[in-house]
Amino acid sequence: MTHAVLSCLHANLAAVEAVLDDIDRLGIATITCLGDLVGYGPQPNEVVALVRSRGIPTCQGCWDEDIIEGLNACECSYPSQLAERRGQLAHHWTAAQLSPENRDFLASLPMSLRRDRLVFVHGSPNSQHEYLLPDMEAFAALERVVSAGADTLFCGHTHRPYVREFREGSIELRLRRPDGEPGPEAERRVDLPVRRIVNAGSVGEPRHGGTEATYVIHDEDRDTVEIRQVPYDVERTCRAILTVGLPPPFAWRLRHGFEFAERADDASHVCER
Amino acid sequence: MARWALLSGLRGDLDVYEAVLADLRRHRVETLFLLGDLIGLERDCRALLERLQHPRRGELRPHCIYGWWEEQVLAERGYRGERRAEALRRESGEDAVQALLRAVDPGFMDWLAALRFGFVELDCALLHGSSADVGDSLGSATDPLALLDRLTRMDVNRLFTARSGEQFSVALCGGGITARVRDLEGERQLRQSVPSRQVIGVGRGLHYTLYDPGTDHLVFRTAPGPARPHRRGFP
Repeated sequence: MTHAVLSCLHANLAAVEAVLDDIDRLGIATITCLGDLVGYGPQPNEVVALVRSRGIPTCQGCWDEDIIEGLNACECSYPSQLAERRGQLAHHWTAAQLSPENRDFLASLPMSLRRDRLVFVHGSPNSQHEYLLPDMEAFAALERVVSAGADTLFCGHTHRPYVREFREGSIELRLRRPDGEPGPEAERRVDLPVRRIVNAGSVGEPRHGGTEATYVIHDEDRDTVEIRQVPYDVERTCRAILTVGLPPPFAWRLRHGFEFAERADDASHVCER
Repeated sequence: MARWALLSGLRGDLDVYEAVLADLRRHRVETLFLLGDLIGLERDCRALLERLQHPRRGELRPHCIYGWWEEQVLAERGYRGERRAEALRRESGEDAVQALLRAVDPGFMDWLAALRFGFVELDCALLHGSSADVGDSLGSATDPLALLDRLTRMDVNRLFTARSGEQFSVALCGGGITARVRDLEGERQLRQSVPSRQVIGVGRGLHYTLYDPGTDHLVFRTAPGPARPHRRGFP
């Protein structure tokens, strides 16, 4: 079976429509969404309504959670105070716009979805706010996949699509216990399983250096993953951002594909929210 | 370099604490760390908590952090926002929660609430559970990938933990992993080695651990049991 996975739609209706058109054109019927339906973008209700109307299984993103729970992310969410101020403005604007039905929908979303050995989360199995960046310490990244009981862990949150495979892993360890106490053997080698993280990138707020929306297609039979880039009407979204009064840098970075916008860089950071 | 003593799980038992202190006098210990679970529900914890706050003349002043039992009482008494002692309630029922509240006088709550989650000394993290959670129980049989993760989160070479109550040392001493990344910029592959790191379970109660950070020398100790000349339990 071939299925599509998308993430970080961020209230960008033009981008979501373009990606769904692309998926339909490819004849793919199974779609999974990794959350962040809202935030940054100018059409939160429209995007939530579209996802609901298509019946797309969706897990909760950090923006979806914060809209429901109130802003309580720690400082890891933003790379600067200016960015944080803009993010808070977008949070309050989005919270004021969302209809009660759409708010209830976001509140009902699960933290993770599972289909056999495929697990779907927004950030990581630990938290919607944790970043699994492509250069994160490999053992820690693999631990996230193993602890989720997954062969392939699909995540988003970083807004940069990638496929990362872990193989030929082992850990050698030496155990010491008080004299005379029974326990596992003193020296052993543990072979680590072959696992994979697939980051779906971002539909509505890409940070890969281009302006195209990104998502991934997984062919389960061939076990291949394709990273898709989909052009969309960026100007339409930019105009809407300015019209509704959201911060102009949100439009500017979409138009220029500014890759470093709002990106948290510390891969080892543990969100303490 | 100063030698450390690391203990945990006193569970309000002053007799056990005194027995360990007596044993420590034979080992030239300069720094004493108490890695949580100072309190428990089995006995009135007042005498031990007063002693920890006010050591006798010539006695080591303990550096304390909070553990799983402190977390439960702090949550139940409203020091953790809306959270309550759900973990204890789930494990042992409502009676256990009430017994814990009786065992810890409310006058100690501010002191308990001021305790830290852990210490980082030199390249060592001293925690009750792990960097993931105060209730994270690491032991000799824990998946080494999880051990490595907990070390990585703290960015330390030694992680001292107490939650499991087990005395053990797991040294991660070899191995590696290959990670291949494919993104819109292309493909790259990196081979990463297992860093030389160690997780140490310090034990609980009379079972404690001595560590010399200068030489990396580790000793698991068991103090002789207390004589228990008098009982400090509830009447």
